[in-house]
Amino acid sequence: MRSKLTMMFAGLGLLLAGAPLVAHHAFGGEFDPSRPVLLKGKVVKLEWVNPHAWIHVEVPKADGPDTCQFTPGAKCETWMVEGGTPNTLLRRGITRDSLTAGTELVIDGYQARDHTVNRANGRNVTYPDGRKLFLGSSGTGAPTDGADPAEGRGRGRGRGGN
Amino acid sequence: MQKRVFALVGAAGLAAVIAASSASAAGQAKNIPRTPDGKPDLTGVYDLATLTPVERPNGMPAVLTDEEAAKLEKQAAQRREFGALPAKADREAPPKGGDGSPGPAGNVGGYNSFWIDAGSSYVMIDGQKRTSLVIDPPDGRVPAMTQAARDRMLANRNARPTSDAAESGRDPGFEGPTAYDDPERRPLGERCLIGFGSTSGPPVLPNYFYNNLHQIVQTPDTVMILTEMVHDARIVRMNAQHLPGAIRKWMGDSVGRWEGDTLVVDTTNFTDKTRFRGSTADLHIVERFSRIDAKTLRYRFTIEDPNTWTKPWTGEYTWPATDDHIYEYACHEANYALQNILKGARLKEAEEARQKSKQ
Repeated sequence: MRSKLTMMFAGLGLLLAGAPLVAHHAFGGEFDPSRPVLLKGKVVKLEWVNPHAWIHVEVPKADGPDTCQFTPGAKCETWMVEGGTPNTLLRRGITRDSLTAGTELVIDGYQARDHTVNRANGRNVTYPDGRKLFLGSSGTGAPTDGADPAEGRGRGRGRGGN
Repeated sequence: MQKRVFALVGAAGLAAVIAASSASAAGQAKNIPRTPDGKPDLTGVYDLATLTPVERPNGMPAVLTDEEAAKLEKQAAQRREFGALPAKADREAPPKGGDGSPGPAGNVGGYNSFWIDAGSSYVMIDGQKRTSLVIDPPDGRVPAMTQAARDRMLANRNARPTSDAAESGRDPGFEGPTAYDDPERRPLGERCLIGFGSTSGPPVLPNYFYNNLHQIVQTPDTVMILTEMVHDARIVRMNAQHLPGAIRKWMGDSVGRWEGDTLVVDTTNFTDKTRFRGSTADLHIVERFSRIDAKTLRYRFTIEDPNTWTKPWTGEYTWPATDDHIYEYACHEANYALQNILKGARLKEAEEARQKSKQ
């Protein structure tokens, strides 16, 4: 019986991990599942605002429309990447100054359904070595977070979308 | 069998506690801060984040043992740690067609969990770790809806969303006709009008996600309840009459009075725009704020709307004080999301029209 009870609680934990969260923001309506993107670029600007912070990055591209600020002589395409509320990060002492212009980032996500704008959700926003933004040291030999779909599609990553 | 015993003991214990705490609420608590006129001082900033859901999950006892609570709280901590692990440095773009992420992450993966600040522990009242905010009915579930309410909801399937709309839970992209037709068809929270998940209340509920902070400011004439998200200030007029019925407000009209050391707030005059859990503008909510100790409030709410539920229902939880700062949630400053969402719907319509004309 004890083991059954334990299983019940373990099951509940899993259930909660995958449970729909109340949200005010239709992620699936905003971004296009058929347009995955991988952006490797540098921060040019932060919009540290509600309801969602937006990280602007310049991504070097041969025929890009902009002159890169941080890669001399190169052309860039500028992308806006959607995040969550800055308030929770402010409470942890993280401000807009914590992420300085020129910081190199790797971002994977999906482009907005409006393909005329370079906007994407920040499904995974990391430093080039894979560490999550704003979090401490990576620890050694840590497994990945499931960003590889072969590791279990979208489950248990604590993601949401408000 | 053990499970059933758990549930029985839990429910009986809870009933006894509710009776006892109702009695003590009328008495004079000691060692709590008081205002110059002798009333309990409820002033402060409170963080309402919790793991305890509004309704008790099936099969759960009413009250968790210390061991069970510790286990579930550890699981929640592990989920947070998992979300903080590094991703692959040399990863590719996510799969075409979506990453399979459920619910609000909308098959596109939402965003990283470092933005999220959900609860880490279960509500504890009188030494008991609770598994639901709802305490009456004793099964921890919201009572059944009346037949009229069920008919109404069926007829209004495509009505404008409510203040606690959980539309993303069934929203893999575009969830049905008319929902994206114009900005006013989008949920109130998405439009930055009022909190979602009933954070603004009443009843004030946790949203289990982030920004669960609330501030109370109190004078003899007025109590203000400020909700961080979405920047709502509810003004409770003390010892006043309700406004005339023709005057309807987003969060209703709240008047307050002291019953012993308990602040009782009575709210009516709702609009038909918020419709908490499918209720009507006749919704009537009574909230009871009392101090458990210098750092904790007990918040109890009773909800009635005969047009909607077969009987009134009551919930309660604690509001622990926090030293954290409450920040302005200036929601409209860059609400690109709403623009992107509506533009996406227009493009999809245009594409569908193009495909149709080809046939």
